Formats: sequence, C-alpha cells, structure tokens
Amino acid sequence: MLNLIRAEWFKLTRRPLAWVLLAVFLTLLVLLLATEFLLVGLHDGLFSGGARLALLREEQVAQFRLHLGFPGIFGAVLMHVDGVGGMCAIALAAGALGSEYSWGTLRTQLARQPNRGRYLIAKIAGLLLVLLAGILLALLLGALLALLFSALVSSTSGAAASSLALPLGVLRSLYVLLPYLLVTVASCILGRSVIAGAVGGFLFLVIDGGLGALSFLSSLGGLVRVLLNLIVQPNINTLIVLNSRSFGLEPAVLTRTMDLSTLPSPLQATLVIGAWSALFFAYAYRSLLRRDIGGAA
Amino acid sequence: MDAAIHTEGLTKRFGTRTAVDRLDLDVRPGCVFGFLGPNGAGKTTTIGMLLALITPTAGRAVVLGHDIARAPEQALAAVGAMIEAPAFYPYLSGRDNLRLLALAAGVSPARAEAALDVVELADRAGDKFRVYSQGMRQRLGIAAALLHEPQLIILDEPTNGLDPAGQLEIRELIRTLARAGRTIFVSSHLLHEVEQMCDEVAILKDGRVVIGGTVAELLRRGRGLLVRVAGDPATPAASSGDDAAHGISADVLAQAAALLRGAAWVAGVEQRGDALLVDAPAERAAEITMLLAAHAISVAEIRPVERRLEDFFLEVTRP
Repeated sequence: MLNLIRAEWFKLTRRPLAWVLLAVFLTLLVLLLATEFLLVGLHDGLFSGGARLALLREEQVAQFRLHLGFPGIFGAVLMHVDGVGGMCAIALAAGALGSEYSWGTLRTQLARQPNRGRYLIAKIAGLLLVLLAGILLALLLGALLALLFSALVSSTSGAAASSLALPLGVLRSLYVLLPYLLVTVASCILGRSVIAGAVGGFLFLVIDGGLGALSFLSSLGGLVRVLLNLIVQPNINTLIVLNSRSFGLEPAVLTRTMDLSTLPSPLQATLVIGAWSALFFAYAYRSLLRRDIGGAA
Repeated sequence: MDAAIHTEGLTKRFGTRTAVDRLDLDVRPGCVFGFLGPNGAGKTTTIGMLLALITPTAGRAVVLGHDIARAPEQALAAVGAMIEAPAFYPYLSGRDNLRLLALAAGVSPARAEAALDVVELADRAGDKFRVYSQGMRQRLGIAAALLHEPQLIILDEPTNGLDPAGQLEIRELIRTLARAGRTIFVSSHLLHEVEQMCDEVAILKDGRVVIGGTVAELLRRGRGLLVRVAGDPATPAASSGDDAAHGISADVLAQAAALLRGAAWVAGVEQRGDALLVDAPAERAAEITMLLAAHAISVAEIRPVERRLEDFFLEVTRP
C-alpha cells in the first residue's frame, strides 16, 4: 500500500496541473492578504501621508489587522483553504483520476496491481497528501507575508493560540475538502473521464453552496433547521468558524449574513461531513470494483 | 505441468452481443502462443479477462495456476502485459514512467534501466512520453511488461508501428524471452510474423476458437499436391463459374476427386477452384497422373503446394 501511495505522490508532484493549481491558489492568497493590507494601510493613512480613508467599519479593520499578524494569519490562510481549496481539490482530483481513464493508464496500472480497492485508497491518500502539502506551503507563505505586512502596518497580535490549534486547524481544513474530493473521484469513475469528474465536483459545489445560501431559513427552527443542517455547507461553516476562533478571529464580523447561532454543533459537523464523504467513497469503491476497465478514450 | 493459461467456457457478453463465447484455451508453459483473429473477434476482451480488467459473464480463467477471479493478485504477480496501444503518462519521461511502475510494484528502480536497455530505448529514455513515436511507445510498453521479470508475458500487437528492422528486433526479443523459459502470449494481425515466432496458435472468430494447434502441425496440414485437370473442348461445361470458364466439367472434377480419395496413400482431397488439393506425398505425383489417365482424365498441371498461416486465417475468418 505504501508503494502505491508513493507512486501516486510521484505522479501528482510531477504533474504540471498540480503546480498550476498551486500557483493559482497561492497567487489568490497573496492577492487576498495584499488587499487586506491595502485596506488597513488606507485606513491608517499609510499611503497618503497620514490622511486616513475609512472604507470599512473599525471592527472589520480590526479583523484584517488580526489576519496580518500572528496567530491570526494562520486562521486567515485556513479560511482561504476552505474557500478556494474546494475548487482546487475538485480540479486536482478530476485531473488525477479522470486522465487515468482518458490516457488508458488505469488499465496499465490495474493490469499490474489488480486490487482496485487498494488502488482507490492509494489514489485518495495521494491526493490528500498533495492537498496537505499545498496547505502547509500556503501557511508558510502566509507567515512570510504576515512578517512583511506586520512590519509595515500596525497589525494586532491576537490571543495566543494553543499549541494544537495549528495541526488541528490543518486537519479540519483537509477534512472540509474531503467531500469535494470524493464526489469528484466518484464522478470520474461514473463518467470515466476528466470532464465527468469536474462536472460532478463543481455541480456538487454549486448545488450544496446554493442550498447553503438557504441557511437563513434555519432560523425557522424545527425540521427545516434539521434538514438544512444535513447538507454539507452549514457543517463546513461550523468547522471554518471553529478554525477561525482557534486563532482569535471572528468570521461573523466579515460575513454578516452568516447566522452563527443556527450552525450545527462541531460534533454534528464532523459526523455529517464524514457521512457524506463515506457515501461518495462507497459509491466510488463499488463502481470501480464492479465495472470493466477499458482502454484510452 | 500446469498450463500457463487455462480457460474453460470463458464468456463475455456486452448486453446482447457476445464478445467471447465459451472459450477454451490451454497455453503450455514456455511456448510462444499466437492469438489471432480479425478485428472485433474478441482478442482484446479475452486479454482483458486474463488480466482481471474485464469480469467474465461465465466460465473461468486460470493464470499461472491461480484463478483470476478468486486470486487476481497472485495470478498476475508474475505476469507482464501490454494491451493495445501502450498507455503511459504523457508528462513523464519514458524512464520516469517505468520508475513509477517499478515504485508501485515494489521493484527496484534499477530494473527500469535494464528494461530500457533490453528494448534499446535507453538513449531516448529522458524524453517525455508524449513526444515518442509509435514505435518508441511500443518499445516502452514492452519494457514495462518486462519490468518485474515475469514468467508470463501478454503482448497485444507488440510490433504495431514498428519499422521492419524494429519488427525483427521484437521477434528476436520474444524468441529470446521464450528461450529463457518464459511463456509469451501474443496477439497479432501480422500472420507472417506469427508464423515465424509462435509455437502454437489459436484463431478466433466471433469470440470462438475456430482453429488451433501448433504452427508446424497447421502448416503440415496445408501441404499437398495441387492437381489441375485438363478441360475437354468437346465436352460442354456442366457447371458455371471458373470451372466452366476453363471448360472443365464439374463432373470431371468430382470424378477425379472420387478416384483420388480411393487411393490408400491419399489422406484427403478438397476442391480449390478449378483444381484439387490432394493431401499426398509429392513423390506420388506420377501415380496420380497415371491413376487419372487410366480413367481418361488428363492432368494439365500437378505441383506441390504449401499453405501459409495466412491461408488458414483467411479461410476460417472469411464471412
């Protein structure tokens, strides 16, 4: 099994698509933090000889100051992972598994290693490892930017985070990406192509996000809230909030539309995301085991 | 000794279409086995079932002593395969593609270099797979099949896209591998090539083996004497077609065939157009002439003939 995971890592880390996605992901992170730096700088009059330009409310600027310092930067980076990372995970997984079908390399692999269950687990493990590496690189880049920006503007150091906050935060972010990754894997196997994987993944992202936008109905309580909290989005929001707070941030200040009081509990969030992920994995596993493997498309 | 490949009633249906129909095969260890058939005959589907890529609808396949459905990992542990067009990662070099396969199989990466040397691709191993010519892709596919030094090598059209020199090299390579005790199961359309390199063949049509055996036996069965009887311009032709065009009565041909079948040293007679193919030793030519002359049938031509594998193939696969 370890050999198969190493082989997946070998493939993914040499694939131009993975590097392009990483570049896009990190560029967006730099743009996000640079924008926050710009807004704080304008607020402080950094670029206009002391003339202050208040585009945001004080509490929002205070949040950005936290983002540009330690440990808040880690919370900001992990929020970026949970926001943009889902799309990157879908693109990466669709490319990684879908092209195995279109190039015919799945057949080459399985003719040598016919245990399809192990192949699938190794593929998912390889993808998660690459995503983990991407998250760690983003945290490193964020930390470097925080050092730079905090030297230029008066950033705020938040309350000290616990020593477990960072590893737990990384694991939560990876867990948030899991259902997107697995729905894409299942779609690739269903449609035997990159396109099928990408369509399945992004369709799920859009539909789930769309249903998540109905979360305001949760205030009605009762069955409506129970049902809405069974979709992935509110549960992901719970973990995002948990991550942010563990680094001294308060996401409700920046996203006023989110009613934190209606979000599921962390335990429910963990269970629901796990259940959706298990469902997608079971479908992918069953389909891969039962279907014949053909040649290149 | 157990067969390297043994199938019993192996069947695959796709909906209402039967791609492979109750296939019984036995490939003995150490032989080069040619698996022939026209496009759509079921060769690649059969290979897919032997490699656990396609699930049979019925029947079973045993590869190197292991049932492929029950123990695919054990069955394929010592099998190297190249199926149809070699499929590799286009963004990786030839060398990295082999290293990747070695890594996944737990084989030393040094084997990749050795396999590249065997197929003479070492000097271009650093190039990306996507820039490889068809011939180089075939070589890389064979190198991948040899990576873990398998006992059984399954090759689907191994010389496809190779120039004549390359084809010769691959034929020699296959022979060398067979001499080293490996079993080679090779599917090919190039009948001349199969005739040269295979010990045994099976010809598949519509998913069923229509003829099989050792190449030597098949070729021996095709040898004989071609006898062309002279037409009698005074006798109006009784049949149409080629026979009539040559003025040879179908009755005369039938009479000649019956006479020859009656001879103890004739193993068989079959009509070939306006002539007869007589399964008899070449030294009996004079006796054939005399036998027919005694019944007022003149022989216009008599000569030894050999049937090639191609003749068998065309004969059994023509609709």
